[in-house]
Amino acid sequence: MLHLRPENLLVQKTLTEAWNANEAGSPLTLDRVISDFDYTTLHVSNSPDIKSTLFLSIKTKAWQSISQCGNGFLEHLESKYAEFPGITACQPEQGFDYTLSVDLGQIQPAAIIQLSLLKIHAMSFAFQLAFDEFGQLSQQAQDPASFSGSDSSGTVRMLQYRDDENIFIKPSNDRITVIFETFFQDETDKVFGKVFLQEFVDARKRNRSIQSAPQVLFSHEPPLEAAPFTSSRKLDKDRRFITFVLFPRHFQTPELQFSSVCHLTLFRNYFHYHIKCSKAFMHSRMRYRVDTFIKVLNRAKVDEEDEGEQQTRRTITGRKLVY
Amino acid sequence: MSQSLRPYLTAVRYSLQAALNLTNFSSQVVERHNRPEVEVTNTSAELLLQPMHISRNEHEQVLIEPSVNSVRVSIKVKQADEIEQILVHKFTRFLEQRAESFYVLRRVPIEGFSISFLITNKHTETMKTEKLVDFIIEFMEEVDKEISEMKLFLNARARFVAEAYLGEFVY
Amino acid sequence: MSYLNNPAIVMDNGTGLTKLGFAGNDSPSWVFPTAIATAQRSNTKATGASSGSSSIQNSGTPYFGNSTSATSFNSLAASALMSNNLAGKRGTEDLDFYIGNEALSASQGPSYSLSYPIRHGQVENWDHMERFWENSIFKYLRTEPEDHFFLLTEPPLNPPENREQVAEIFFESFNCAGLYIAVQAVLALAASWTSSKVVDRSLTGTVIDSGDGVTHVIPVAEGYVIGSAIKNIPIAGRDITLFIQSLLRERGEEDTSLRTAERLKQEYCYVCSDIVKEFNKFDRDPQKFAQFIVENTEKTKRKVIDVGYERFLAPEIFFNPEIASSDFLTPLPTVVDQTIQACPIDVRKGLYNNIVLSGGSTMFKDFGRRLQRDLKGIVNQRIALSESLSGTRSTGVDVQVISHRRQRNAVWFGGSLLAQTAEFKSYCHTKQDYEEIGPEIVRNFSLFNMV
Repeated sequence: MLHLRPENLLVQKTLTEAWNANEAGSPLTLDRVISDFDYTTLHVSNSPDIKSTLFLSIKTKAWQSISQCGNGFLEHLESKYAEFPGITACQPEQGFDYTLSVDLGQIQPAAIIQLSLLKIHAMSFAFQLAFDEFGQLSQQAQDPASFSGSDSSGTVRMLQYRDDENIFIKPSNDRITVIFETFFQDETDKVFGKVFLQEFVDARKRNRSIQSAPQVLFSHEPPLEAAPFTSSRKLDKDRRFITFVLFPRHFQTPELQFSSVCHLTLFRNYFHYHIKCSKAFMHSRMRYRVDTFIKVLNRAKVDEEDEGEQQTRRTITGRKLVY
Repeated sequence: MSQSLRPYLTAVRYSLQAALNLTNFSSQVVERHNRPEVEVTNTSAELLLQPMHISRNEHEQVLIEPSVNSVRVSIKVKQADEIEQILVHKFTRFLEQRAESFYVLRRVPIEGFSISFLITNKHTETMKTEKLVDFIIEFMEEVDKEISEMKLFLNARARFVAEAYLGEFVY
Repeated sequence: MSYLNNPAIVMDNGTGLTKLGFAGNDSPSWVFPTAIATAQRSNTKATGASSGSSSIQNSGTPYFGNSTSATSFNSLAASALMSNNLAGKRGTEDLDFYIGNEALSASQGPSYSLSYPIRHGQVENWDHMERFWENSIFKYLRTEPEDHFFLLTEPPLNPPENREQVAEIFFESFNCAGLYIAVQAVLALAASWTSSKVVDRSLTGTVIDSGDGVTHVIPVAEGYVIGSAIKNIPIAGRDITLFIQSLLRERGEEDTSLRTAERLKQEYCYVCSDIVKEFNKFDRDPQKFAQFIVENTEKTKRKVIDVGYERFLAPEIFFNPEIASSDFLTPLPTVVDQTIQACPIDVRKGLYNNIVLSGGSTMFKDFGRRLQRDLKGIVNQRIALSESLSGTRSTGVDVQVISHRRQRNAVWFGGSLLAQTAEFKSYCHTKQDYEEIGPEIVRNFSLFNMV
């Protein structure tokens, strides 16, 4: 597996099973906890009264910071599911941030895939605001009358998606800057992560075919865009900042926007996943090495069978002759 | 193989051959004990021989500490940068974790070295001395090779992963 | 730290099937074969880079639905397998593999070879197992292992070196937050607490664990396995399936595939109290014979299979092994009795009193009742003998076999029960502990305090 999929496979599977069972006339009783990356927990349960109605609740670390990004967050989520009949938002379940009620009698397979993208849709709100603001800013820039002269830049939005790690999104009139603040707890990861991040920076320069990908920068110091947010906190020397510079071609159409958001939100998971894969591969290599070393060492062993051959004589049936 | 590696390994080989001349020797301090004399704090100087320090450069060194019934060989593996440092650490830890099947491997290296071997007279009685020396030499050669291969792998993988990720943004 | 709120992950990797899920759920989220399909180096070019990366959008992907068999996968829609576009790229062979149901369908193609990394309950191929876990965590469970605690299971008598290897993988490769390794039999005992018959939540009892390959009888006293008394029976799910298949073939049924035999076993078989009576019942009442309809995948052809005496005869091989096997002839109740008799005398009463079933092959209707009756017979006989020899009265031994609803995935369910308790995390070894002490830390785990 090279890429992580944006869809949550387990949500998809659970809902498909529930849907199939409902179609077959014997709805399942469900009460399942499902998890996703970055402190996200989903909960699928039946409505206490009607078995064919499911509740899909989500709780994610980033929720609070997303809702502070701007107005209209809930409307944004609702709009994602507006075109699918049978899915409505309802009162959030106790302990969760958001709950959708799903009428199994009405939904289609396409809706199940959208439901499995719930976390991405939630995260996409902050990006959506940035895309909208970019539109305004670039309008202003083209219109010399209202152009104020200085490089107009939009508001920085912060997503606190993990304990010590944040995403900063800043639109300006010709680009959108997305900054990931990362932090490695493990010594090995720190070193491996450095190698990986350096390659992210260099990849675009080296490989012609991905010239049109976003520009990637990497620094130990917080970039200016993110500085106002990080200055208050103590600056760890282990902190790293990875900046993606998105150009208009990366978010021209809603489809492109969606795909860019998917990849960006999975960036940290993707690259941690690959650090882990490389460690696993190194373990395989080392296991192989250990085996060959042991083989070499065993060659040194004096074979007792060889030594004994001269002294002990055997009968034709293989028994030892004992004097 | 580079110019200076050959004489370095040859020096280690001959020193080891000279050092691996062990006999059974009962402890002078504790009755009916037979312990590797290099490993215990010794008051009787006659049991310990002169340690040999072979150094190729400041990163690659071998320390051979012979005694009457045991030899301790400590190897410092080349660690040019942070990545090699962590890889050597991982690799030696992995080996030490499997010390059981390595017979002569010491679970903890001597301070200042990456990995240590302890060869006692028991080992030389059940194994051919020249093959044991071969093993140590081969080990030294292979470790360097393995570390640099792993480093290459890591860079290649990082490059591949980064390009694959950014490739997703090419529309 | 936020990870304290994340659900713990329970992973039960068995010889045949792997059960994955989150603590607190009533059933595992994923059940699939412990199989991995790795790219064969010789002909990686065969698949080329087929551009099927969007085929995941099909709702009928082969990895949906939980398996009940380690060798056949539920949906045969092999075409829905998505491509990961890795084939042929050098230096990335270690990313090009599939696990579970996907592995089974991938291995039908020319470029992947299938292997089962676990043999007889123990991990044989660590390279494959590490990648199996890697994919389970990131693809199927979608979790960052740093944020979650893990509960893994191990077979009884697993060497501590294997535990250390597991810890090495989980802490060094995956950086998991915390790890607990539990013995499968102990978890199966914990799972039986859901049964209404269990009054005290003790960890003393005999576990009969029958999966696909082998049946174990494992005595557990106060949470510790009595290793010297464990007995294995070479009769398990697969033998029953093969026995049904041979009966079908003898009768010359239209379809005698292993798959059909397995479906028959799962849907129709039950345990009777007396074979002779049951034969008579069947002869008197033809209603008892069932019919099973096999449809091919396109639902165009139908084959009708008669289901006859195998309904009760197949599970009977646990109680009368001579009808199917020629080399193993001891009935299950006798083996259980021998196992308990091999244990220290002061725990035997507890072991007779709490016999717990676990695993798919104990799911036959009335399996527990028959076992309890037969075992009671053996025990009562011995008590009568000792009473007549010594002339004193015995206080009697209570034999109780416990069946419960979670029997099929009892080990996983027990793990889920224990891992959702508030104390679970304090029993785990954390990443910090591991870094400080090293892999030998996992040689010991404190037992759950049972209240």
